[in-house]
Amino acid sequence: MSDLTYAKIDQTVLDTLRPATQVYWFTVALLAVGMLGGLACWIYQIFIGIGVGGQNNPVAWGTYLINFVFWVGIAHSGTLISAILHLFHAGWRNPIARAAETMTVFAVCTAGLFPFVHLGRAWMVYYMLPYPNQRTLWPNFQSPLMFDVVAISTYLTVSSLFWYTGLLPDLATVRDRSTGLRKKIFTILSMGWTGKMEQWRHYTRGYLFFAALATPLVISVHSVVSWDFALGVVPGWHTTIFAPYFVAGAIHSGLAMVLTLMIPLRKIFSYEKIITLEVLENVAKTIILTGLIVGFAYGTEFFIAWYSQNSIEIAIFKWRALGHYKVGFWIMVVCNTIIPLLLFIKKIRRSIIWLFVISIFINIGMWFERFVIIITSVARDFIPHAWGLYWPTVVEMGIMVGSFSLFFFLFVLFVKHMPSVSMTENKEMLAEGESHGA
Amino acid sequence: MKRRNFLKLASIGSLSFAASACTSEPDKTIFSLVQAPADMVTGSPTWYASTCRECPAGCGIIAKNREGRVIKVEGNPLHPINRGKLCIRGQAVVQGIYNPDRIKSPLLKKNDQWQPISFSQARSLIQEKAIQAAQSGSDKARMITELVGDSQLALFIHCLEKLNSKGPIAFEPLAYETLKTANREAFGIDGLPSYLMDKADCLVSLGADFLETWLSPVEYAWRFKAMHAVRTEAQGVFFHISPYQSLTGANADRWIACHPGREAAIVMGLIKATLEKGRGIGLPQSLIQSLRDASERYTTQATARMADIDPKDFESLKIRVLKAKTPLILGTGAGTASGAFQADLAANMLNLILDSDLTLFDFDRRHRVEGSARRSEVIEFFNSLSTDGVRLLLINNVNPAYALPPGSGIRKSLDSDRMFVVSFSNFMDDTTALADLIFPVCLPLESWDEYSGKNGMVSTLQPAMGRFTQAPHVGDLMLDVAFKDDRSVPDYKTWVMTQLHSKGVMREKNEWLKALQAGGVFPDVSPSVTRPRPVTGATSLFEPVDDTTGLFEPVDDTIERDPAKPVFIAVPSIRFFDGRGANRPWLGEIPDPLTKVAWQTPVLGHPESLKAAGAGHGEVVTIQTQQGQVEAIAYETRQVKPGVWVMGMGQGHIHFGRYAANVGINPLTLLPPKIDNMTGGPVFSTAVVALSATGDSKPLAHTDGSRIQHDRKIALSIPLDQMSANHDEKSAHEPSLTMEGFPFTLPLPEGYDPKRDFYPPHDHENYRWAMAVDLDKCIGCAACTAACYAENNIGIVEKDRIVEGREMTWLRVERYHDPENPEKITFFPMMCQHCDNAPCEPVCPVYAPHHSKEGLNNQIYNRCIGTRFCSQNCPYKVRRFNWFEWEWPDPMNLQLNPDVTVRSKGVMEKCSFCIQRIKVAHGVAKNEKREIKDGEVVPACVQTCPTGALTFGNLMDVNSRVRMLTQDVRAYQAMGYLNTKPAVIYLKKVVQKT
Repeated sequence: MSDLTYAKIDQTVLDTLRPATQVYWFTVALLAVGMLGGLACWIYQIFIGIGVGGQNNPVAWGTYLINFVFWVGIAHSGTLISAILHLFHAGWRNPIARAAETMTVFAVCTAGLFPFVHLGRAWMVYYMLPYPNQRTLWPNFQSPLMFDVVAISTYLTVSSLFWYTGLLPDLATVRDRSTGLRKKIFTILSMGWTGKMEQWRHYTRGYLFFAALATPLVISVHSVVSWDFALGVVPGWHTTIFAPYFVAGAIHSGLAMVLTLMIPLRKIFSYEKIITLEVLENVAKTIILTGLIVGFAYGTEFFIAWYSQNSIEIAIFKWRALGHYKVGFWIMVVCNTIIPLLLFIKKIRRSIIWLFVISIFINIGMWFERFVIIITSVARDFIPHAWGLYWPTVVEMGIMVGSFSLFFFLFVLFVKHMPSVSMTENKEMLAEGESHGA
Repeated sequence: MKRRNFLKLASIGSLSFAASACTSEPDKTIFSLVQAPADMVTGSPTWYASTCRECPAGCGIIAKNREGRVIKVEGNPLHPINRGKLCIRGQAVVQGIYNPDRIKSPLLKKNDQWQPISFSQARSLIQEKAIQAAQSGSDKARMITELVGDSQLALFIHCLEKLNSKGPIAFEPLAYETLKTANREAFGIDGLPSYLMDKADCLVSLGADFLETWLSPVEYAWRFKAMHAVRTEAQGVFFHISPYQSLTGANADRWIACHPGREAAIVMGLIKATLEKGRGIGLPQSLIQSLRDASERYTTQATARMADIDPKDFESLKIRVLKAKTPLILGTGAGTASGAFQADLAANMLNLILDSDLTLFDFDRRHRVEGSARRSEVIEFFNSLSTDGVRLLLINNVNPAYALPPGSGIRKSLDSDRMFVVSFSNFMDDTTALADLIFPVCLPLESWDEYSGKNGMVSTLQPAMGRFTQAPHVGDLMLDVAFKDDRSVPDYKTWVMTQLHSKGVMREKNEWLKALQAGGVFPDVSPSVTRPRPVTGATSLFEPVDDTTGLFEPVDDTIERDPAKPVFIAVPSIRFFDGRGANRPWLGEIPDPLTKVAWQTPVLGHPESLKAAGAGHGEVVTIQTQQGQVEAIAYETRQVKPGVWVMGMGQGHIHFGRYAANVGINPLTLLPPKIDNMTGGPVFSTAVVALSATGDSKPLAHTDGSRIQHDRKIALSIPLDQMSANHDEKSAHEPSLTMEGFPFTLPLPEGYDPKRDFYPPHDHENYRWAMAVDLDKCIGCAACTAACYAENNIGIVEKDRIVEGREMTWLRVERYHDPENPEKITFFPMMCQHCDNAPCEPVCPVYAPHHSKEGLNNQIYNRCIGTRFCSQNCPYKVRRFNWFEWEWPDPMNLQLNPDVTVRSKGVMEKCSFCIQRIKVAHGVAKNEKREIKDGEVVPACVQTCPTGALTFGNLMDVNSRVRMLTQDVRAYQAMGYLNTKPAVIYLKKVVQKT
């Protein structure tokens, strides 16, 4: 960090906006194909019916809900890094804040698609809006799904505004260094930023304000999503630990996704001097914390199930660990709680390869956590005659691949056309003379 | 914008509007008749009384006709046989008329292809062949028919006489030959008396499946529950002795798993015991002596050894039979081995010993199915077709090519150049496929006719709707064929009226009309007059003669000659009967009551048998008998004796329409064409030559998740002694919030406790609808499920969807085994509980499940956007989602009930307590300016339940039956501890120790 100058920071970031290679466009094309495949699967589902998925009686919710929670979860950690750590003046977050916030916005967009995909009659989704109608019908605000609508739309709005506000000075920097069509676009995007004193003041105040607004959302949005389950009567869902459990899990998976994104980004764009190893190490240390919280939550669930002496609660937890879906359960436990413990070893958390591999495992584990929660609880709930199993189908997998493609498509397009590291904040840090990462 | 661009955009825009009007989905509008016929009130049904012809029992039905089409069939409340109730097959009658595979015009076989010809052409063709046959000699025109009423039989005889031939032979695959012969030998009557089961206090069945197919299932269901369902005194006890428990045995107090064919040993043991105790009063001394001699060797130990049962079981049976005041022993069912006749004969003797007056037998009102020919006669009939040089064979609605074992030579007899075969079937079944000409005739719901399931009454049929095709009635056709214009009556309807007149049943025209309206003429039931005298010669059959009466030889000889080896049994099915119901999709879709498998035919085996074969549950096994081999999915169950393999009859047709062709397996193909010498009847069991696992496994289309309750408060039972001791279950536990202690909470303001309930009670307006389900009366027959399908336009999903877990059943009958006591089974009808505190209501974002002001949980179909949170949150899992757009192939859509929405894909549905019926009752009550009376609203399931296990009514009416039942000591709510406050109250099943 010490030999960085304003110019170097600017140059490193602006260099990423150079014309792209063929490999890049090939990747974009591949992701576009993935997206279109997912879209095709969804259109097929709309015409034929939800039955093309694997959902049935009793498991009426499948990968669409799993992916929804997964993507919303990932979004939270971006806000944690860019908003909460900003309030805490944790300087090490500056190099990754921009990319993290971008991840948040795109993850929320991806997540927001899933409630539509999941609906039996997606073309009637507007019933969920309180629009004036002849029968004076209101949507049911008692329903956790309505809470979701409010929460997710709030989160998307606030995150987008926060993200955009932070982008403004950097957009101006790009505008000043570009020509032709790019200059025209960035002129519009930077909204006439000139760098005047008042503008900077508004910018910092605005940014702080949004950070403060976004902070409670980190806790509340995923709590609301967790109440989709906790407010249900289903055994294994109906527990008060869900809100903190889900929030911790969300941050856990989001931090892992940050690592998954940052490590290749850093390598490809030569960001090593800006996104230093210390930054990544700090992310890893946070992952240890969230991993321990998640592990504690698993333990608490099992303890409470035993302590309650409620035979149905005990039965469902036993089945989770030993029943038809035990592979998913053990993947969840090992990947989310045991593997992150490796990060206690300094050598491992300072090794790029290890960090990348562990982050992938954590994401797999967190996906399976949602699988275990959503699928196993409903597969065996109160009435034994109604028990049944669920397996996802090709169409569901296609839509899932489509969602991943969409996320990476947006992200990959972003990093090559917009500044993926906040030049402004890094230059601020330089100015304040903060030279350490933690 | 340039003008050119604007025009381009405008045209694309308008094209898209035009194109969007053309959807790929057809119009789904129900047009009501603008100009209705004079006697039709659109929106209001007309009911026509008729008789069900789905089996020989002859229950009375009333058919609901809406705007000219029959949409539902219910039992005729005036009919003495079924008293307003109908079984699962009766409910599926409508799927016969509207079956998409119904043959609409005659088909002539030319070069192995079927060519449609006109009705007049076909008629002339048959006339021509008939004349030829008549002219070429006597008995050259033969007919084989299903069992028909007296009038139709008389007409057939009359017409065939004109053609120089003798009368038709009536073929029923289940013709009770052993029972008839046993009755002839013991009582001198070659017939089938009916049983006054409701007056018995100890019932013993040797396998007779009287709740499924035996003689008259709906009648025996209500009779059985009249003697067995709990009353304040000790209830009647029921023992079922058979190798396969079956649905009937699942309702027994004790099922004794007996080796197939050895039931007679148990009866002989009982004969010995009862004679020793001095019973047999009123019987001739010679008879008693022969019986004593014959039963000499049947000590408890010997009996138990022969029948391969536990001696303790026999002792319990003996004690109960001796203790009983009015015991009744029923014979064997269809699925038994060669010992069936001996068992039936011994049972008749035992009945005589226990009550020489046979007061529980009704010899005056015998079952009509006694008029069907013995199997030996049927075989002889087919053999005679070639030897007698028959020129014309008329087949009236029978399927011998399917129902007879392959070695019987039916196909060969039908394959003849000399003989012209005409089938009057409406469906292409295995026999009809072999015919030369198919001439479809009216189905029973389109006919004037008369069929009486028992003598001593007349049960009429009338057309309940207009004709679907130009098909005539078979009687009219026969008159045309035999007489052309030179006939004694103008049509078949007149013939029926004349016949009834000549029998003295009806004298004037208005009596005919009254009979039609009532469904028949039902004289008062007077005590049976005919008293048979025991045929003393019968006892000669008890002397050990030769190998055919093996059961009466010394015990050791029998065991040595016939060691226990794997046996295969084909049993009749409550859904398909003998196979005739297989093309009705509801019957395939609603799973078998015991296995809960739909559409498939698994083979049932005991865990020990499966282990010996090296197969597991769900694995495909090859079963080989002397006749052939078959591959079937093995189903592991304790409801069969080890060493016995059971398969249900009725499926495995080669031809029978899209719902039955190549669906399932026909177990009759494994049976030998053996005819029992003594009785002339077939055997439905055979030795298994080899049985091995193929190594494959196939998914079973079963609708049950787990077979046991896992200690949850779902289907509860209560021991009988706790009932009579005035033991109050409800106050036995301290009220608590646990599963065991949660109090009974009515879905009324009385059930709310501010200390426990967060929200205040609902404000119901005059009515709070609720249902009471008496588990002690439920026999698990699933007639309620079929009625629900018929009433509520429920989609048929077929096998693959059921494998995926997507059946659409609103009302299902769950069945739970007791893990400690494998023979104890509880049937548990589960439908939407219409909870007062419904978990589904708060979680829907758009208020699609909505609590009505009368307590119903209404599912508003057009509001539902399909988030499916409601079904996730329903603890009872009664909600059904429309995963696809279900099909109603033309003309099945004509059966749809216009009062009930047909749901599109993406929408959730569930039981609505038949809200359309509640609305109708409201309308009537409003017109008459009064409240709805108790018993006025009858949902479809409640209406048809043969045993009256379901009661529906208004909980806010303190005098309603439902409200009274909530005070029963047996009342409880399923999973009540979840504080859902369900409006379905269950009454515990009462269990007796035997």
